[in-house]
Amino acid sequence: MISQDALQTINRIIAAVFGGYAFTWGFSVLAIATLVALGIDFHEAETAISLVAFLVFLGLFLWTFAAASMIRVWLVLAGGAGVMMLIGLMLQTSLLS
Amino acid sequence: MFNSLRMSMGWVHTWMGLVLGFVLMICFFFGALSVFDREIDRWAIPDTRFEPQPMPSFDNVLKPIYQQLQPDPVDMAATERRVVGTLPDPETLKLESLFAYTTHRDPVLLIGGEFAIPNQPIDPADDHQHVHGRATVNPATGEMLNDDALKIGSDWFYPMHFSLNLNWMMLGYWIVGLAALVMLAGLVSGIIIHRKIFREFFTFRPWKNLFRSSLDLHNMTGVVALPFHFFFAFTALVIFASNIYLPVTHTTLKPLHEHHEMLEAERKGLPHEPAGIPAPLASVDAMVAEAKRRWAERNMAGEVGFLSMNHLGDENGYVSIYRAGSDRVALVGEGIHFKASTGEVIREEPPRSVVSSIDEFLTGLHLQHFEHWMLRWLYVFGGLLGAICIATGFILFVEKRKAKHARNGSQGSRIVDALAVTTVTGMVLAAVGMLVANRLLPADLAGKGQWEQTIFWSVWGLAFLHAAWRSSPVAKARYNPAWREQSLLLGLMSLCAVGLNWVTTGDHLIKTVFTDTYWAVAGVDLSLIVTALIAFYAAAKLRAPVTEQKIDDALSRNKQVNAYD
Repeated sequence: MISQDALQTINRIIAAVFGGYAFTWGFSVLAIATLVALGIDFHEAETAISLVAFLVFLGLFLWTFAAASMIRVWLVLAGGAGVMMLIGLMLQTSLLS
Repeated sequence: MFNSLRMSMGWVHTWMGLVLGFVLMICFFFGALSVFDREIDRWAIPDTRFEPQPMPSFDNVLKPIYQQLQPDPVDMAATERRVVGTLPDPETLKLESLFAYTTHRDPVLLIGGEFAIPNQPIDPADDHQHVHGRATVNPATGEMLNDDALKIGSDWFYPMHFSLNLNWMMLGYWIVGLAALVMLAGLVSGIIIHRKIFREFFTFRPWKNLFRSSLDLHNMTGVVALPFHFFFAFTALVIFASNIYLPVTHTTLKPLHEHHEMLEAERKGLPHEPAGIPAPLASVDAMVAEAKRRWAERNMAGEVGFLSMNHLGDENGYVSIYRAGSDRVALVGEGIHFKASTGEVIREEPPRSVVSSIDEFLTGLHLQHFEHWMLRWLYVFGGLLGAICIATGFILFVEKRKAKHARNGSQGSRIVDALAVTTVTGMVLAAVGMLVANRLLPADLAGKGQWEQTIFWSVWGLAFLHAAWRSSPVAKARYNPAWREQSLLLGLMSLCAVGLNWVTTGDHLIKTVFTDTYWAVAGVDLSLIVTALIAFYAAAKLRAPVTEQKIDDALSRNKQVNAYD
């Protein structure tokens, strides 16, 4: 039997690594699309966001271990990833049309 | 699960640091060796022990060499699996693009190109329609270097530090990427759990017990080199961001990316596709002269670092010439593009924007193409400080727990200690063992490079078995004798490597330092001697018997173990 503590820990590791990655991905999509929509050169936007993205990931990674409620962590990580991805994709479609 | 921020950060620091620390050891150690990868290449391939030289004449030297370039058999096989039908005979494939690359430390020149293939891809979205070829050329003689001569520095130690040389599914890159993130997390959490950071900066008590002095060393190396470590782990992620770690612009945002590329190609006037009309090639040397003239005009005279040609033999073909960045932190740049058939300038790249200046400065600082020997050595020491910080972390982990584990019969610290031996002395043994093998195996042995790689992994594997076999004292709260034994062996092997270099090539230190100075080889030999001295010193230190008093100390110290264990 896996103990409650171990399950909790596994949950946090998965949230920190995969949840954090998903959020960072969504953030990058939305941020690059937004910068391009604001008239910034595509590669400029890509470079700028690559300099910020891993700091966002790092923050999320540590926060996941420090946070009191894992439900809130998952809501922010998965929810944030989904919403940002969606808006980013919509922005891309409107930029290309 | 955790009652406080400090406790949760302590957990991340201890456990994430432990698990990924084994990977980080590899990154920092082989990263430090990569600073002198070209010099290690010279040591390992004695035929190339001559002075670095600038990019040779394309028209006279390089042009005929590209005609001998062949598609890489490994890439042929990989491409075969991605396309419909069988590929034509490699001899008949036509080169469609090429490049040449050199740095201020390279006597030899890396050339390569892409060969067009007629086959359709299996996946229609796959636009990678060519096979690569690569070769190393001796520009003095125009000869290609034997493929079996592995460049141990730049083709083994260097990729080791970012890919672990595990290329299956890019697994090594992803493990290293996660380790880099954990390194950043380890640094931040380390600051949070150690509040007296300024005091620790000046605290080192080597005369205290092993636990105290390794804690001091861990904190000191962690704090002193904190900006250095943070910077390297961070830029490692940034360098591979757009192609590997966060390829949003090649996946989710691919449509936007392609749209932009089309606009940009129009704006730059660099044709994206061939015209289908054959055209001759004008003098490339004249283009190089023009590029150098324009650089000099901008007050940044320099040598060519990178030269490439696209759509070879086609009306739309163009030549791109980039300046070597040996006098600045940022990488190659100031590209000037010429029409291949006429030699007229199509485009001169404008000065960098603010964002790309920052990016190129950061990545350039990691990749260090600049010419500054003292700074290079500081990089080596910085990398080794990182390795010390991680290795002392392992020792702390073991010293803190082994007494408790000895009492309740746990094997935890015994396993961690054996893995620590494997990744500290075992890793250095593998690297030095490879150099010894390099000098022992005959130069004309078929598959020599393969043999060297096999020996590298075998030595490392044996070091692990040895560490595991000798590990039982740790379960009784004593030291693993493998530390000392492997240190002794490392000292002997390092001296052996220096001796073998002398015997097999005639390049001894008196010659390479004084009479016929060649610092690349002398530097590797001297570093091996220093390695041997440190290893013998460590072995001598480790011979001091462990008294009962010390074990009692370890047991009483157990009470100080933090709550997050």
